[in-house]
Amino acid sequence: MRPLLHLAKKLILFTAVTLLVLEALVRIFHLYKDTPARFVDAREVEKWRPGQHGYAVTGNRRQNFSEYRINASGYNSAREYTPDADTLEIALVGDSFIEGFHQDYQASIGRKMEARLPGVQVYEYGYAGYDLADELHLLQAYREDFQNIDYTLIYLKFPDDLQRSTYQVSYDRLRLETGPYRLLKMSKLVVYLQNIGLMSAARNAVSQGMAALRPTPPPAGPAPAPEAQKARYLENLQALLEQYPVDTTKTAFLLDSRNAPEEVLHILGQQGIAYLDYGPALAGSATPVTLIYDQHWNDHGREILADTLSAWVALRLRR
Amino acid sequence: MLFNSFEFFAFLPLVFLLYWGLGVSRLRSQNILLLVASYIFYGWWDWRFLSLILFSTLVDYTVGLLLGRTQAPGRRKVLLWCSIAVNLGLLGFFKYYNFFVDSFADAFSFFGYPLGETWTLNIILPVGISFYTFQTLSYTIDVYRRQLEPTRDFIAFAAFVSFFPQLVAGPIERASQLLPQIASPRKLRYGQWVDGLLLILWGLFKKVAIADSLGMIVDDIFAHHTEQGGLVLLMGAVLFGFQIYGDFSGYSDIAIGTAKLFGIELMSNFRFPYFSRNISEFWHRWHISLSTWFRDYLYIPLGGSRLGKGKALRNIFIIFLVSGFWHGANWTFLIWGGIHACLYVPLFIGGQNRSFVGSVIGERNGWPTLREVGQTLLTFLLVSLAWIYFRAPSLAEANAYLGGIFSRWEWTPYHHPMGYRMWDYAVLLLFFVAYEYGIRRDERRPIPFRSRLLRWSVAIVLLFGLLLFYQSGTDRSFIYFQF
Repeated sequence: MRPLLHLAKKLILFTAVTLLVLEALVRIFHLYKDTPARFVDAREVEKWRPGQHGYAVTGNRRQNFSEYRINASGYNSAREYTPDADTLEIALVGDSFIEGFHQDYQASIGRKMEARLPGVQVYEYGYAGYDLADELHLLQAYREDFQNIDYTLIYLKFPDDLQRSTYQVSYDRLRLETGPYRLLKMSKLVVYLQNIGLMSAARNAVSQGMAALRPTPPPAGPAPAPEAQKARYLENLQALLEQYPVDTTKTAFLLDSRNAPEEVLHILGQQGIAYLDYGPALAGSATPVTLIYDQHWNDHGREILADTLSAWVALRLRR
Repeated sequence: MLFNSFEFFAFLPLVFLLYWGLGVSRLRSQNILLLVASYIFYGWWDWRFLSLILFSTLVDYTVGLLLGRTQAPGRRKVLLWCSIAVNLGLLGFFKYYNFFVDSFADAFSFFGYPLGETWTLNIILPVGISFYTFQTLSYTIDVYRRQLEPTRDFIAFAAFVSFFPQLVAGPIERASQLLPQIASPRKLRYGQWVDGLLLILWGLFKKVAIADSLGMIVDDIFAHHTEQGGLVLLMGAVLFGFQIYGDFSGYSDIAIGTAKLFGIELMSNFRFPYFSRNISEFWHRWHISLSTWFRDYLYIPLGGSRLGKGKALRNIFIIFLVSGFWHGANWTFLIWGGIHACLYVPLFIGGQNRSFVGSVIGERNGWPTLREVGQTLLTFLLVSLAWIYFRAPSLAEANAYLGGIFSRWEWTPYHHPMGYRMWDYAVLLLFFVAYEYGIRRDERRPIPFRSRLLRWSVAIVLLFGLLLFYQSGTDRSFIYFQF
């Protein structure tokens, strides 16, 4: 048994040294993704804790490496949000597409719009995971700010953003701020392994093993028909617009008509809400507009968006 | 169960601890454990096909015993052919039945007599069947030739047939080499375990960092070959050469390393084949267990090179074509084997087929001569071009791919399908080739340094490389599982 004990001792020592060296290498080359801390503020809006900055990293070898900066309002932006009556301000409200952790915060859609619209400040209220309920709740919770903002564009992605008909704080994401997760995040090696998908592969193996030991669950019922699902999304849209009315004179929806059915446009029309369809502009591009490794817009896509949005907003502001 | 899966990394330490925990004096218990573990390992993929292994084991065990009791040459021959018929029958049914039916129907259609609906079967190929049938055949043939005494220990024999480290993709062990090791007590050897663990790490690096990461590029280039320039197509063929080498030799290293953990030495399967100076040397270094199997059980019985040049050339073509066909039921593999035969024959005729046996490139002072560099590059290029037939799904695709290399001789910018920098792979391969060159004298000691600091540093660099090139969400099974 002595060789076994000797092997065990050596393996433990080697593992410890390896983990330390890998932790150091991951830190030295900054291969891990910084994730800012999130919280729910006094107005029940989920956002990032103000004053954080770091680097969003994608892929094993920093395929994408971009800096973010969380401002005092809790959003990723180069700018602080201080809307007043003297300045022209535009708000972009949306999910990760507006938040833009996959891009340098100095190259965001908002910054690109500001370059096209001299004298205008663009406020980006983007947060990964926001749906329409989150977005409309934000407008209501911070109505005094949005009253001072001259024009607001609300990003709407069908059907992802219409899964619910009313707002409630989502505690699923906030679980990531609890003790064990915070502790794990202190190791950049763990964060890196999580980012490259190695941890989920390990988790899947464990859960598959556990599932094999458990009795087979009864088969799930039939999935609802696509038409019934669509009807539910449309009902959610209607319910949200009734619950959180928007100022139709200075608010518009930002959507891609290639994904949104006619009925969505019809409901918006009934409520007198304008919409900006950016789909044709992206579809007209000869070069790719999204990143290769995920579906977010790349720099070229953001340039097109900035062009389209700036032209559209400029027209409305002139009126 | 895959060697590169988390299940295996839970399974292996558990079996290792149980195995040595039983104590070295309890050989039978250890062999029962090896057998049960091997059946679990294989059954993890599909337990129904365990019946095939068990059937093959029973047949060859019985034939072996009967051969031991029979002296009459005629009866012995009948027994041998029974084993060959059963083993090759199983292999033929699962692997080649549909191919022969389709080819038969195509031939009739070609001559204007379409057969209409053919009797192909919707069957899957049992993993590892080509490997374990050859292994059990080697036992029966060796017993028939009286080179090996038949074993009476069924457990040891069943463990030999199903020994999990090499069950699904080799090395194809000879009974005379592996069975005595299983039938006799093993010793606790710390050094052997460390060598095994280092081989496992090196094999994993080759599989994950080299093969899997290049696989995505190769798949992309082969899938869109009509849109690529000739140089990109050549790059695709070269990268496939590295992919299949990383995949298969990585598997073999993990298999040999795992066997070492149980005190068992398997034969080497690869000896740095891309440092070969001609095709003959390549075949002394690539998939050694298969090429020597064909040499011992097909080439030599056919007369080898003893019956004159003409028959020797015929035998060379036979073993290369059979070797190609062993890989899969597709004309592409036959052509691949045929290409290698054509490349080998001039060396054989010129008496140069054994010029480099027993030596390595850069033998004198560590550095290769210019002549050796040229010979190695030429061999590598020829092997890479032949790989196109191995990798392409059909002859038409392979011909179009090869034609594209020569007809569109230009560089077109190539971008990784997932947006990764292509330079990363150039650096990775440069490191890999340089390191392999450094360790080219001993394939069984991939980290051969005396200094512990250096050994540990290399091991950590390999682990870091694994992380840098690990691809989540890709199919991580080994290429040779399909054979």
